[in-house]
Amino acid sequence: MFALSGYDAFLGFLLISAAVPILALVTNKLLAPQSSAGERELTYESGMEPIGGAWIQFNIRYYMFALVFVIFDVETVFLYPWAVAFHKLGLLAFIEALIFIAILVVALAYAWRKGALEWS
Amino acid sequence: MTIASSTQQICFLVLSAGIVIGSLGVVLLENIVYSAFLLGGVFMAVAGLYLLLNASFVAAAQVLVYVGAVNVLILFAIMLVNKKEDLKPIKGLQLRRLLSGGVCAGLLALLIRVDITTTWKLPGPQAIGEQATERIGEHLFTDYLLPFELASVLLLMAMIGAIVLARRDILTNDIGTGESVKPGLIEKANTPLLIDKSSP
Repeated sequence: MFALSGYDAFLGFLLISAAVPILALVTNKLLAPQSSAGERELTYESGMEPIGGAWIQFNIRYYMFALVFVIFDVETVFLYPWAVAFHKLGLLAFIEALIFIAILVVALAYAWRKGALEWS
Repeated sequence: MTIASSTQQICFLVLSAGIVIGSLGVVLLENIVYSAFLLGGVFMAVAGLYLLLNASFVAAAQVLVYVGAVNVLILFAIMLVNKKEDLKPIKGLQLRRLLSGGVCAGLLALLIRVDITTTWKLPGPQAIGEQATERIGEHLFTDYLLPFELASVLLLMAMIGAIVLARRDILTNDIGTGESVKPGLIEKANTPLLIDKSSP
């Protein structure tokens, strides 16, 4: 039994948004003249010429940004039910959420102090 | 207004087919980048299944954490791997395939048995729909408070561990034994953001 409301509109939206890229690519394939002469095969036809392969090694620093993002992503997931049930929970839950955020602010401060947030 | 049950059936079938085909693609495709993007698609389809099961919060968490974060991490890990290595033939491949096939067949038999013997239609509690998130919040801040606070400590530990591993702070002495560390372990302090392979 499906108990959530408003998801019929979501389904319609999903179908339309799925149709957009498919229609764009298919009409392009059908209507556009086919040619592979000159610069047509470049990644960016009117941009800069790409140098080397696309498969290059990136620095581990990018990975660190992703990890920091994951931490705060999970924090958001934890805080969302609190925000939804805020009126029912009262002051004690507010203090508990503050403790939760404070512990994660320590993590942020550590990342900041260690220079994990800098591009340098 | 909710979705009709026939529409639910169609959605379930499409999502399940997407999960099965996508997972097969994740395992079988040669290019690891395609696998990673397909994995994102599989996670999205799983989120759709959660929605069909009235678990809107779990679905949102799935999209946020798995598609938004974990899959990005996997893609970044692929970006860190530079080489397109030719895979060497593994010794005893037939035996390995036979063994893993046996294990998979056993698991499948077990799952089929569970599927047949379980009485699925139980008079469970009524689905509460939108109130579920609110209920999760109430439980999280009353009887699951300690796990909730411990989760933040766990996140703190994960963050610090990630930074220590990624930065590889220059420690000249091993913390445990006090011996000096091999110089190869110490990373250069200023590495460029893009490692250019063409320059010497």
